[in-house]
Amino acid sequence: MADFIANTKRVLLRFKTAVKTFFWNVRRVVNNFKKRIGKFLDKHNLNVASKFPGWAKALLYLSPALIVLSIFTFWPIINSFALVVYENYNMSNNTITGYTVFGNFLTVITDESFIIPAAHTGSSAVINTLIIVFISVPISVLLALFIAVALNSIKPLKSFFQTIYFLPYVTNTIAIGLVFAYMFRSDGGLVNQLLGMVGIQAQGLSWVESGAVYWRSMFVLIFYSIWSSLAFKIMVFLTSIQGIDKQYYQAAAIDATPRGRIFTNITVPLISPMIFYILVTSVIGAFKIYNAIVALFGVSGAPPGVDYNLQSIVMYIYQFIDGSNAGNLSVAAAASLILFAIILVLTLVQMQVSKKRVHY
Amino acid sequence: MELRLENLTKIFTNKTGAETTAVDKLDITIESGTLVGLLGPSGCGKSTTLFMIAGLVKPTGGKIFFGDDDVTKLAPEKRGIGLVFQNYALYPHMTVFKNIIFPLENLDVPRDEAIERVKEMANLVGIGELLDRKPSQLSGGQQQRVAIARALVKKPRVLLLDEPLSNLDARLRLQMREEIKRIQREIGITTIFVTHDQEEAMSISDKMVVLDFGKEQQYDAPQVMYNNPTNLFVAKFLGNPPINTFEAEVKKGYLILNDQKFAKVDITDGLYDIGMRPENFRVKEDGFKAKINEIFHIGRDTMIHFELNGKNIRALVDSDSIDDSNESVSLTIKNERIYIFDKETGQVVNHG
Amino acid sequence: MMDKQLFVKSNKIERLTFLFDILAIVSYITLFLFLFNKLELPEIINGRMDLDNLQFMLPSYDVLWMTWDKFQMNSIIAMIILFALVAVPMFAINYKKLKTRTIYEVDSYVAASKFTQAIINFFSFNPVSAGLRIYNMFVLVEFVKGYKPKEFFKSIIPAIKSKFKDLTTKKQAEDTSHLDEYSLSIKKSIRRQNVTYVVRLLFTYLFLVLMALLIVIPFYWMILTSLKDFTGATTTNPEFFISFSRMNWVNYKVVLTELNFGLYIRNTVIIALFSTAGTIITTIFAAYAFARIEFKGRELLFSILIMTMMIPGELYIITNFITVSKNGFGWVGMPTGENQYFLAMIIPFVTSISYIFFLRQNFKQIPESLYKAARVDGCSDFKYLMRVMVPIASPTIFTITILNIFSSWNAYIWPRIITGVGGQEGKNYWLISNALRDTAFVQDNGRVMYNLQIAASALVTVPLLIVFFTFRKYIMNGIGRSGTKG
Repeated sequence: MADFIANTKRVLLRFKTAVKTFFWNVRRVVNNFKKRIGKFLDKHNLNVASKFPGWAKALLYLSPALIVLSIFTFWPIINSFALVVYENYNMSNNTITGYTVFGNFLTVITDESFIIPAAHTGSSAVINTLIIVFISVPISVLLALFIAVALNSIKPLKSFFQTIYFLPYVTNTIAIGLVFAYMFRSDGGLVNQLLGMVGIQAQGLSWVESGAVYWRSMFVLIFYSIWSSLAFKIMVFLTSIQGIDKQYYQAAAIDATPRGRIFTNITVPLISPMIFYILVTSVIGAFKIYNAIVALFGVSGAPPGVDYNLQSIVMYIYQFIDGSNAGNLSVAAAASLILFAIILVLTLVQMQVSKKRVHY
Repeated sequence: MELRLENLTKIFTNKTGAETTAVDKLDITIESGTLVGLLGPSGCGKSTTLFMIAGLVKPTGGKIFFGDDDVTKLAPEKRGIGLVFQNYALYPHMTVFKNIIFPLENLDVPRDEAIERVKEMANLVGIGELLDRKPSQLSGGQQQRVAIARALVKKPRVLLLDEPLSNLDARLRLQMREEIKRIQREIGITTIFVTHDQEEAMSISDKMVVLDFGKEQQYDAPQVMYNNPTNLFVAKFLGNPPINTFEAEVKKGYLILNDQKFAKVDITDGLYDIGMRPENFRVKEDGFKAKINEIFHIGRDTMIHFELNGKNIRALVDSDSIDDSNESVSLTIKNERIYIFDKETGQVVNHG
Repeated sequence: MMDKQLFVKSNKIERLTFLFDILAIVSYITLFLFLFNKLELPEIINGRMDLDNLQFMLPSYDVLWMTWDKFQMNSIIAMIILFALVAVPMFAINYKKLKTRTIYEVDSYVAASKFTQAIINFFSFNPVSAGLRIYNMFVLVEFVKGYKPKEFFKSIIPAIKSKFKDLTTKKQAEDTSHLDEYSLSIKKSIRRQNVTYVVRLLFTYLFLVLMALLIVIPFYWMILTSLKDFTGATTTNPEFFISFSRMNWVNYKVVLTELNFGLYIRNTVIIALFSTAGTIITTIFAAYAFARIEFKGRELLFSILIMTMMIPGELYIITNFITVSKNGFGWVGMPTGENQYFLAMIIPFVTSISYIFFLRQNFKQIPESLYKAARVDGCSDFKYLMRVMVPIASPTIFTITILNIFSSWNAYIWPRIITGVGGQEGKNYWLISNALRDTAFVQDNGRVMYNLQIAASALVTVPLLIVFFTFRKYIMNGIGRSGTKG
């Protein structure tokens, strides 16, 4: 038995060396070949590669990325500016009826479901999105900060909790959204059950189904949005808090600093670049919310049978691509540019504010 | 294989157009099989010279010859050099074995021979049992040996080392510089190494080149350079404790120190810079009297501080020849150990 | 010497146990697949599945010589899944420990863990492994304590007795009468400090547990609901826990086959694979060009790319839709049979500027002296990239892979737009998000089969959870680092 094992080991070893030698020799042949070509080109002075080394090589390495980027990133940017000035662009026969500079923008701005809520719809995409952004972002950032600080201060079970908090990140937004919608069901949803257990009579209370009040469905949306965005924030905050030099805390301890002040005067300033980064990216991300709304309310963006909707700006844009107003791509482009402008302004404002608060 | 630098020059132009001359018309011939040290203070152009020999930096002027071949325009990989970087530049994700065999993968060498060479080289530098480790698991000295093995495994014509010992601690430095010397002797390869530590260069080089601001100051064997410096810079650069330098007058063929006739010298009258090494002073009865300012005992030597021509001079003498009770001492110094330098050119005027 | 032999012997036994562990795991999986296959789906009436029947069916299954009803079938399947869930991680941990454990790390805890594992093995119907582990435990006990089994048993009782005595011995009350005021106040403040410390710790844990509950409850509810039958999922008084026999595993089978989720998952996996492969290739090359190759206009081009990162994706979608439709490449919007849905879903996302930025940062951190050393050795740029830079940067590349897979898994709007143009044919190319949202889990009479809907959600979530738990450390570290790079 031992002999058998020894023999198989020997055979395997020989096989391994044979394979390695094979690849080695292949490499030798290829190298020789390359050298001969190089010599040949040098002799006849054809070696273009050595005359423009940096330039040509860079092109070669960048080409796959650049080709894809040109078609699907640069071209769209240019084309969008073109689209925006088309009038009545018809996609099926690729025709337009004319040009208009501001027409499409006006259409968007005056659209009753965009900014100014109409009487009968009672809500607009911009207002919805603003509510979502200004409520969910501060709450989620603060909550993530507290959780990260709490996590950092314990030793046992730390990685256990870390794993749990990270779970929402690895999920499919729509799948878990469906679960949330189910949990908030009026008849026998988990939430109403739990409310009943603490004495609040909630049987039949509609959160995301027909008859739901605006604030209740908005609550579910914001709750879900915070729930799914916590994981990433916690992870980033935790990593940066762990990177703070322990000596700062030691110095504070010697000075008998109370815990609250340690948090506000040491921890927060030292990770302020990270907080700023998370704030900016969260605001931008929250402005582009879409999947979560679809998960909870479907493509219509509202609970069935109500007279308002929870559409976000992005949802508003998509209706012009394949939703209720399909084919009206110019308006979609105009709305996208307006969205871009809003995000840009907010980001610049945040950067201005941060100049005083963020310490690098 | 003989290495020859002919008027090698390198001028850097930065973005604003200002020019810096890093290497200025360096002209040196290095005999085959010698270990030569490129010595000088920071920024004197020694690393630049090394990299020009390697081919990583293009010279602005001049030529480089490996033997009879003009390699000035040749790409680095075609020159047949081995280069050991200051921080070793070992590939962190590869084992020692893979690190050393890496250069051979681009040469036309059969695999068995390559493995043989790696083993042979590893044994030569003393890391034969560490072939399966990764660089992060090795100490500084071991990493350096791996770097040397990697440089030598392709049997280069020239071995170049960039500040090989500066990353090691003091005790290791002593050990490693003897190792480098031993390896070089055993293989007999022409080797150039760059350093700013004069003691290091002096201890192992066959010959040294001292550079200052890109210009060659002297090219000689270490001991020759020590005893016969061609200029003030070289004299000041070598030696620990450093040479004493001060101004003095020569009147009527005599060197005047402390307003006394000190020694007979065969040069024209005038004001000169004088150099005297501390260890060249001897305590002797009929020397010149000096008032002791301070005495330091350093184990086997004693350092005496006294004044000459208004400057504080150090003398290093035997501990037995003096004790703390003395207030003054009588010292002599041999004539050939007095170095007289021209005030303008810095060149030595009373030697060779 | 004896010790080392014992250690080696213990390892050999462990390796043998692995064989049987693997055997057990393989048999669990085969049994599961076999039984799952046997599960009966409701009949198809008029092209629609009679999902109502799903609830009231009472099929009987003939397995070997036994006949099981629905409840027994459910319980058996549940148990097999439980066994597999326990056995696989245990095996993985044991394997890793075996590889890395040195002789110095073996102590009585190792022996105790072998015992617990033996019990688990026994209840998982793996008697061979159980027996081997018990034997191993005795070997280890001999190794650690130096005595044989008989003496070991004899020593258990006194050991328990002495532990008990330690716990019940009261500390001597301190005599404080001779201490002065200052020492007393110090003692008091130390005690107060301890109390505040404990209280704070308690509140921290309370807070963390509360938050953790909030996070975990949706997951638990999801798996729970996915195993309920229709009544259980739609009642006004839902149960919080169901027994093994009531676990309706057939829900998954329905979702996979009749509702076509197997197809949709397959589509998503294809997209994820190809787009990730493409992304890795383009990103590595582009990042290398921006990090190492010197060429004119490099910084300018890079800044332009950075600026485009700010532009919202919606803008791109509009034009890209035109580009892939018949006015451009003609991948979608063509008559049936001429559409190339996969191309349209993969190619536009094969390059991402943020990944290039991220990898370029990492490449720049690799010291340049390595590059010089390689050049002196005659190594070409390409070889240096592949053999040196990529291996060193592999954690970052792995993070990029993970991020890309997650974003493919979550893709909704683009696939929806693309497949929406194709009518019926488009439906075959749905990705999981589209399928989840746009499949009507509705019966003819308008009732929503929530249990199936949630089962579909669970089906889509669980694979990713498994991937997450396997590569947990790498994923979390990678994401954390990618954030801090800013």
